[in-house]
Amino acid sequence: MFKKCLLGLATLVTLFTFVSTVQAAEPHYTITTDATYAPFTFQDKDSNYVGIEQDTMKAIAKREGFTYTMRPMSYNSAAQLVSNGQADGIIAGMSITPERKEVYDFSTPYYKTGVAWIVGKNSKIKSLNDLKGQTVALKTGTAASEYGKSLQEKYGFKVKYFNDTDTMYNDVVVGNSAATFEDMPVIQYAIKNGMALKVMNANKPGNAGSYGFAVEKNKNKILLASFNRGFAAIKKDGTYDKIVAKYLGASQSTFSGTKKDNSSILGIMASNKAALLKGLWQTLQLTVIAIILASVWGILLGVMGVSEYRWIRAISTTTVYIFRGLPLMVLAFFIYIGLPGVTGVKIPAFTAGIITLILNEGAYTGAFVRGGFEAVHQGQMEAARSLGLPYGSAMRRVIIPQGLRIMIPSFINQFIITLKDTSILSAIGLLELTQTGTLIVARNSQGFRVWAIIAVIYLIVITLLTWLSNWVEKKLK
Amino acid sequence: MSETKNKVKVHVEKVNKSYGENHVLRDISLDIAENEVVVMIGPSGSGKSTFLRMLNQLETPDNGTIVVDGFDISEKTTDINKVRENIGMVFQNFNLFNNYTVLENIMLAPVELGKLDKVAAEKKARELLETVDLVDKADVSVNSLSGGQKQRIAIARALAMEPDVMLFDEPTSALDPEMVGDVLEVMKNLAESGMTMIIVTHEMGFAKQVADRVVFFESGKIQESGTPDQVFNAPKNERLQEFLSKVMHA
Repeated sequence: MFKKCLLGLATLVTLFTFVSTVQAAEPHYTITTDATYAPFTFQDKDSNYVGIEQDTMKAIAKREGFTYTMRPMSYNSAAQLVSNGQADGIIAGMSITPERKEVYDFSTPYYKTGVAWIVGKNSKIKSLNDLKGQTVALKTGTAASEYGKSLQEKYGFKVKYFNDTDTMYNDVVVGNSAATFEDMPVIQYAIKNGMALKVMNANKPGNAGSYGFAVEKNKNKILLASFNRGFAAIKKDGTYDKIVAKYLGASQSTFSGTKKDNSSILGIMASNKAALLKGLWQTLQLTVIAIILASVWGILLGVMGVSEYRWIRAISTTTVYIFRGLPLMVLAFFIYIGLPGVTGVKIPAFTAGIITLILNEGAYTGAFVRGGFEAVHQGQMEAARSLGLPYGSAMRRVIIPQGLRIMIPSFINQFIITLKDTSILSAIGLLELTQTGTLIVARNSQGFRVWAIIAVIYLIVITLLTWLSNWVEKKLK
Repeated sequence: MSETKNKVKVHVEKVNKSYGENHVLRDISLDIAENEVVVMIGPSGSGKSTFLRMLNQLETPDNGTIVVDGFDISEKTTDINKVRENIGMVFQNFNLFNNYTVLENIMLAPVELGKLDKVAAEKKARELLETVDLVDKADVSVNSLSGGQKQRIAIARALAMEPDVMLFDEPTSALDPEMVGDVLEVMKNLAESGMTMIIVTHEMGFAKQVADRVVFFESGKIQESGTPDQVFNAPKNERLQEFLSKVMHA
């Protein structure tokens, strides 16, 4: 039965991998972006990705006859996925710099930019010299942050890193950081839409340059050529200017919903119902699949951990040691971003997330499963063996059923941890509940309300999960 | 007293066993005949339980030969599971399977090892419950039984495999005094039915009454062995005399 179970689960995983990598007939690309980057890319109130970049991409794809999957995630992950071949291109306000040209091939520039330095609306800071000893917020991996970093020594400030624009802004707004560096058009758009910040160098942007669409160096030449051709065309016929005017001319509320929608918890819930449900569904899928597969893997590790043979025990102990020792996020990055760079095999984010959870939660499960088996009195094994039962039968019939019963509370605990750990997978761009929250906040800047909603949803799901587990526990006893 | 006539069931030759520095068994040799009832006595730590557990390889000897029922179990190629099917074992702490009912405990091994189908195994189990006088406990959880009841179920469980040899490792040591009689009664009946039995116990009265031979262990050696009459009434070994004077007056 055990073997059959494993086989079924293996098929399931393969299926997921297969379904998500299936290829369409016309050229299909995976493009990454950072959806906290209005007016270039952000999520509107109907959970669609909009903005200058998104509309531009759409227009070009239509003209050039290709399709694409847009994958929003943190800027840093978005950039890495393209540089290691996991994704085909990135459109995420990426400034064209000489360093980046070593790694990427850039399209013709689609937007002029420069770096602004920004302080809180009522800040007393007058010049960069006033930043001495203060903290400056930067976003990981951006050209603006490189520029900020280059001034650090000269002006003697401390640096703090963020993964998305919105959290970085808010850190300055609430006064945790004294200043930040960001691309001029992006911060001007945010201020126009009510972000309580001010730009200190509007007339003199640092490192003036341009945004470009990028692909991995010397790869995807067809896609890059398509983009350039398409961009030239929409620039020529005025489509591009219309797109820019559409976003810069309108206030963000046009896209992100009315004030009423965003200023109450109920309003936010109603206007983001679709997105929240979608995020919750993804979280539940990850949780359920991970719980089942990690339990199977963990039980297997636990059984191996009490094997008759020393080498099997050693495999189990080592596996548990490694995967229990690795932070979940490191493991996720390693599998999703690290491995494909070496093996050349693309792993869909969902599959990578599931594998990460199986390895990590499975290691914890393996450790307590082994402990549970060891807690079954040694006499039980001796009695079974003295009747002539082989080791396997004795385990299956006597030790495992008793051990599993001891482990039930640990399993319930692990299920809850698994549910919470799925939130870490937002780092590889999985649009689960936490990432959904990040995107909503990026749009409406209602951090307190949105995170309160997300927190309550987690608590509700955890409560239901606990009830279900307790019910199962009672049934088993 | 009958070992010369009957065929040898258990043959032990020059067996040694150490745990680190502690030499628990020293050059033990012993033959036990079919149908013979051998009782092993001796102070705790004398090696008698280790010796017993070696006969079904719950402990492995460092060297020496152990042949049970014609199978050399000190040989690596011997299928120890097959040999164990023929050797019943009863433990001091019963070791009934906590996850099964009384009936399931008795049926488990015959069904799992394909010796009997479920129907036949249940019939057999109910017969055995009758012989240990616990028919009404068939469907209860083993945790609801008293120690004496548990031990009688453990005997029934071992008998379900229809073994040729039964090993008893201090079967009454964990019992309340009033429970001891019922268990000894079952063992006595078993001895009378002709079962080959090897028993480690402190029940001297039982030894006198049931044993064909009494073996005295001390410091990992068999110091003396003989009929109950010889061992209890005319002990030659000085340590045996000392041991008996302690337990008889206790």
